[in-house]
Amino acid sequence: MSKFIKVQPWLGLIARLTLGGVLFAAGYLKIGTLDKSQMAVRAYELLPISIANFLGVVLPFFEIAIGLLLILGAGTRISAALGGFTMVIFIIAIAQAWARGLNIDCGCFGGGGSVAPGQTRYLQEILRDAGLAALALFLIRYPLTKFAVDKDPNRSNAGDVE
Amino acid sequence: MAQAKKPNGGKDNFTRNLVIAVVVGVVLIMLVPTVLSKKSDTSAAIPSSVSVEDGYGMVFNKELTGVPFIEIYEDFQCPACARFESISGEYIEDLIKTKKAKVAFHMLSFLGGESQLAANAAACSADQGKFIEFHKTLYANQPAENSGAWSTQYLTTLALGLGISSPDYDKCVQNQDYMGWVKNVAEEGAKRNVNSTPTVFINGKEIDRNKAYNSLGEFMLAVEKA
Repeated sequence: MSKFIKVQPWLGLIARLTLGGVLFAAGYLKIGTLDKSQMAVRAYELLPISIANFLGVVLPFFEIAIGLLLILGAGTRISAALGGFTMVIFIIAIAQAWARGLNIDCGCFGGGGSVAPGQTRYLQEILRDAGLAALALFLIRYPLTKFAVDKDPNRSNAGDVE
Repeated sequence: MAQAKKPNGGKDNFTRNLVIAVVVGVVLIMLVPTVLSKKSDTSAAIPSSVSVEDGYGMVFNKELTGVPFIEIYEDFQCPACARFESISGEYIEDLIKTKKAKVAFHMLSFLGGESQLAANAAACSADQGKFIEFHKTLYANQPAENSGAWSTQYLTTLALGLGISSPDYDKCVQNQDYMGWVKNVAEEGAKRNVNSTPTVFINGKEIDRNKAYNSLGEFMLAVEKA
């Protein structure tokens, strides 16, 4: 157990940088082509078109913000909870597209929209998002990590970058 | 030592809150104008062949009734659109010239900046009465996506080959006079739930995705049945 206490902040750092990095990259890759991002959200056929179009614009900005906060380790627990929540939503959205037999690209890192039948990669997309959701859970349970802006309230020098 | 630097831990919270405020603030400052720019600008300049009631499409044979209405949603940078143009473009051109169909071209720009530049230039070419020719030439010269090839200078040079030498055209391309239209037509495509390009409707019904996009024969059948 004491071994875990030593390793946990480092595992947390890896989880933070992975989840944060993926979210930041996902948002950054979409932000230049927002029409495509809107198209990707519409293609899930889950939301009314006007709301899907709005979400297509907002989502990349949201991903960038959460990604940055996780990379910096600021408000780790809340950022991880929001990041994990989006992953769960993505999993639900992809799973329903799969179940309904839609042929779409998840549009996770730009791209998106309809693809040819047989070109879908739903299982890989769901597994990846599930892995990221697991990282988020770990960070919600253990939000104190190495090299973070967040500090341990009980130990004034914990996580200091020295 | 560390204790002395942070007497009560309050400073840590301050740093953390500042970081959160800056990140959230900067992202919001970027987001708000972006959301606002996604509204259609009804005062934007449009070429005379554009029909606002047909979703800002570039419409040919607008006055005809009782003929099939073909609506094409496309992006000049999309390879599948270039394929569709090479398969069925000539037939569509023929339908327009022989007045056998009403045709609306909707230039989407979801692939990015060079799609917008090309769509703007296409609108400029419409003012010179050369939209269909320019449309075909762009697809015939389609470079890799956002490779930087479609600059405003390239687009003016390309038009010279079609006999467009008016300084009005050059100015229109250079100043991106129809960028408002480019955004509006994309916005209308989004509202119509067009989720891939090309998307073609005949009399309001999308043609068969498995057949009619890749075969001239199937496309002709779809038009004739309409």
